Amino acid sequence: MAKGNHRKIRGRPHNLLEHYQPIDGVVDEMVDASGNPRPVWKDFIEALEELGPEKLAQRFARADQYLRDAGVYYRVYDKAGANEREWPLAHVPLLIEEQEWAAISAGLVQRAELFEETIADIYGPNRLVEKGILPAGLIAASPEYLRPVVGTRPASGHFLHFCAFELGRGPDGRWWVLGDRTQAPSGAGFALENRVATTRALSDIYGEMHVHRLAGFFRRFRDALNGMAKVSGGRVAILTPGPLNETYYEHAYIARYLGIMLLEGEDLTVSGGRLMVRTVSGLMPVSVLWRRLDAAFADPLELRPESQIGTPGLVEAIRRGAVSAVNALGSGLMETRAMSAFLPKISRELRNEELLLPSVATWWCGRDTDRDHVLANLDHMVIGPALSTRLAFEDDDCTRLGSALVAGERAELIAQIERGGGDFVGQEAVTLSTTPVYVGGWLEPRPASLRVYLARTPEGWTVMPGGFARVGFSLDPTAIAMQRGGQAADVWVVSDRPVERETLLPQEHDSFTRTLPGSLPSRAAENLTWLGRYIERSEDTVRILRAYHVRLAEASDPDMPLLADIRDYLEPFGIDVATAIPPGLIGTLDSAVYSAGQIRDRFSPDGWLALKDLSKTIHQFATTVAPGDDATRAMTVILRKLAGFSGLLHENMYRFTGWRFLEIGRRLERGIQIARTLARLTRAAAPDGALDMMLEIGDSVMTHRRQYPVQAGRRTVIDLLVLDPLNPRSILFQLERLKAEIALLPAVGEGHMSPAAKEILQLNTAIAIKEPSDMTAKALDDLATEIGGLYNSLAKAYFG
Amino acid sequence: MLYDIRLNLRYDYDAAAGGGRHQVRVLPPTISGVQRVIAASLSFAPAPSERSDFSDFFGNNVTSIAFRDAHDALDIRMSARVAVSRPEPGLDVSPDIRRLREELDAVRSLSPGSPHHFLAASDHAGIDAAITAYARGSAGSSAVSTAVDLCNRVHRDFTYDGEATTVQTRASDAFDLRRGVCQDFSHIMIAGLRGLGIPAGYVSGFLRTIPPRGKPRLEGADAMHAWVKVWCGRDTGWQEFDPTNGMRASNDHITVGHGRDYSDVAPIVGVLKTTGGQVGEQAVDVIPVVLEKA
Repeated sequence: MAKGNHRKIRGRPHNLLEHYQPIDGVVDEMVDASGNPRPVWKDFIEALEELGPEKLAQRFARADQYLRDAGVYYRVYDKAGANEREWPLAHVPLLIEEQEWAAISAGLVQRAELFEETIADIYGPNRLVEKGILPAGLIAASPEYLRPVVGTRPASGHFLHFCAFELGRGPDGRWWVLGDRTQAPSGAGFALENRVATTRALSDIYGEMHVHRLAGFFRRFRDALNGMAKVSGGRVAILTPGPLNETYYEHAYIARYLGIMLLEGEDLTVSGGRLMVRTVSGLMPVSVLWRRLDAAFADPLELRPESQIGTPGLVEAIRRGAVSAVNALGSGLMETRAMSAFLPKISRELRNEELLLPSVATWWCGRDTDRDHVLANLDHMVIGPALSTRLAFEDDDCTRLGSALVAGERAELIAQIERGGGDFVGQEAVTLSTTPVYVGGWLEPRPASLRVYLARTPEGWTVMPGGFARVGFSLDPTAIAMQRGGQAADVWVVSDRPVERETLLPQEHDSFTRTLPGSLPSRAAENLTWLGRYIERSEDTVRILRAYHVRLAEASDPDMPLLADIRDYLEPFGIDVATAIPPGLIGTLDSAVYSAGQIRDRFSPDGWLALKDLSKTIHQFATTVAPGDDATRAMTVILRKLAGFSGLLHENMYRFTGWRFLEIGRRLERGIQIARTLARLTRAAAPDGALDMMLEIGDSVMTHRRQYPVQAGRRTVIDLLVLDPLNPRSILFQLERLKAEIALLPAVGEGHMSPAAKEILQLNTAIAIKEPSDMTAKALDDLATEIGGLYNSLAKAYFG
Repeated sequence: MLYDIRLNLRYDYDAAAGGGRHQVRVLPPTISGVQRVIAASLSFAPAPSERSDFSDFFGNNVTSIAFRDAHDALDIRMSARVAVSRPEPGLDVSPDIRRLREELDAVRSLSPGSPHHFLAASDHAGIDAAITAYARGSAGSSAVSTAVDLCNRVHRDFTYDGEATTVQTRASDAFDLRRGVCQDFSHIMIAGLRGLGIPAGYVSGFLRTIPPRGKPRLEGADAMHAWVKVWCGRDTGWQEFDPTNGMRASNDHITVGHGRDYSDVAPIVGVLKTTGGQVGEQAVDVIPVVLEKA
């Protein structure tokens, strides 16, 4: 950025502000009432203008590319069902000056403290209800008031550990709290990705401006969680509802970023009153659970019985103080919209303080005076369900703008409020401030709200210096909800002095010990094994199909015996060779993607993208490729991409238990497939050309030519593909690898060797001493079955 | 009245259940002014690998059990000796619905007995326009008279039918069917009262059945029973009504649990790892004890 360059903003060759027209009566974040940029924005705009429209477009494309490469997505539910959608980054960050941020922070810390005390009172002595400050009926009716935890003090000593608040700036220039997130706030990981993407585009500008960094916030919270767990001697885990959740990407991202185990409800069990994770090394205690699912779903025994994603007994473990939930079950109560109406009084009662950052003015129609006020001022109100925990602007199903009601609706709503006032709240209709977005070469104002995160540390609440802004695509202030197509911008808190740079990397003076990864959850081990199996099964199928289509392209007779034999061989496996890309093959690969999707926290973004790319390719081929030559080429492309994916895993994955299960899955499947195919193509009645084809499927044509000075015969093919310990496609090779990896798996039960280790040792020895003539078709079929049986022993020992 | 009560719940699983966790609510508590438990025991076969006992929010006795090993049946036996002595209902001094609401607003409490827990819709007893309209026909000059009338009407207008509904049936569905069992009758009455603004809850327990004249009492022929509690204002407090029999709860009613509806007091809830179905059986004996004069 050109410092000391005092060219005027107006009259520049490319004036980004030329078309910038804030709305009358609405505060704009970038320019003041007279249209001049605020100080914190001035240098930033100049720097953008200096880049010019072409470079800016390139820069912003770079940010989008980063998000695509990283595979950042969120899930949207619409009429077409659930879809993954790319993260909609609004490229221009929202800039906030440090002093203003300090005021916001102070207000939110006060709020978080107040919420903590309020929840502790509601689930404890209930003084607020007794004194008539909180209506008992409102609490009792809330689905977030969880009776099974009433009277339970959290083991950690606190109910709240991680909160988010949604803020908006009103026409008077003040910030208001639009909504409170105390249940399981989402988006902190997206804030981090927003930052990375935005700085990809604007690294030089970011570097020049003194922008507060985000990493320290996450480090402090991770340390706090680990500290809590240390006290009780268990682990920290993140609990996710699973890959179908709208923000699963973020759960996996945070888990990977902070190095915390990501679990689903079925990974957990309660034993002896303690919460345990099922791992391949047995049950391991979990003492801190950062839950990303709503409390009501956490335990089907005591909360919602229909929940499929909970852990039976969790509530009991919490009552016994064996585990701390972040946040405590029941904390979602503070999100209740009507609660805002009581906060000022609660603050005076509990803390003898006024709220530094008030909520949008709220009236609960269950009180006669409030109801009368709402009815008298309906045109300035947003009316919604009192017990809703959704943010008003996201809740267009049930939240109505008083001034937008037509006569009939209005009369109906008034009648409803008069009948059952307790069901409704009125909230002052707010106008959000606007912030610039870059549209077609110019900046334009759009309404925005701000989401800010707070985390509890032993030293008190820490505020993420930033967060993200939700920005509308249009000037409609309700159109900023992500589910409805809003966009998200990074938030830069700008200082006039250099800021402290923090990273997650350990500091020089920190002691350094290399620790092995924690225990692998059983479900993750199972998914890794199946990922290995599905990938290998895809590869083996593709090899056979390629060998088939090469011959089909050259054959005069599509029903020649060898081709017919392959057709009959594949048919029972659901592979119909008449279709160039058989649905059975696509299904296998889809299963691989599914298995990988269950364990995204264990994948590098590169691995995931390679797999998605593979899946996209095969689905495309399915509609375009014809049998014969065309299919041969397609199979070669798929093989290459499979090899790319396998290579990524093989070269980049840390060689510990997780990798071991993936490898075992691969080797098992390859052993089974080779044995089965060999049994078929080397049987006495096999058609002409079967042995050559077998060598091709086993990728061993050249080796065979070098090793044996003779034509491929049954004996030489068996020797090379079953008994040669140096051929990575031979069965013996798979068994040797399996023996080595299974021996390194965690010990199970008593005795020196696990059943699986014994089985593989026996099998390996039995095959190692065999002669080619022993390996009849039947012996090969039996061998395939025995290798398959190994999986069952492993599953019993590790995935139960 | 003094009773010996025996309950046997038995579940047979098609496929062996590979472990599981349950909460069992079958042990009657001592309730001041209603009943006193002299002795009670609860046993399970096979023996669970874990067992703990606690009191839930509403004060119900809960036994939490877990099985680590596979089992293909679960047998639960409860026996208890309980003395029941309910006060005779006094003169009706309960307020009308408008005054009831004022008295309710004045109750600043979330204690387990607070009427506030029993006014909002709950899973099985939601507020339903049709049921509310039906209940309005009973709205009288006092909360008690309203409850009495609604209790009698439900008894009269609905048909007892053990086949029509299941434990999952909600008040609105049973209302449409015009039939059901004690659970459904209770849910309909609760939903109706809540619709009128009167707090109402669900009571589970046992009922002594009196055999037809000249016939012996059939052992194990009884089932668990359910009825309704109604908050009738500050002075009158909770009153209990049995809409299945069109009567007030009497000394023949032995209480096991209180809740907002059936789901708060289900005798057994649990999660089993099994692929097959399960079949449950229930046998109840309520035997009046006549103590020999010393």
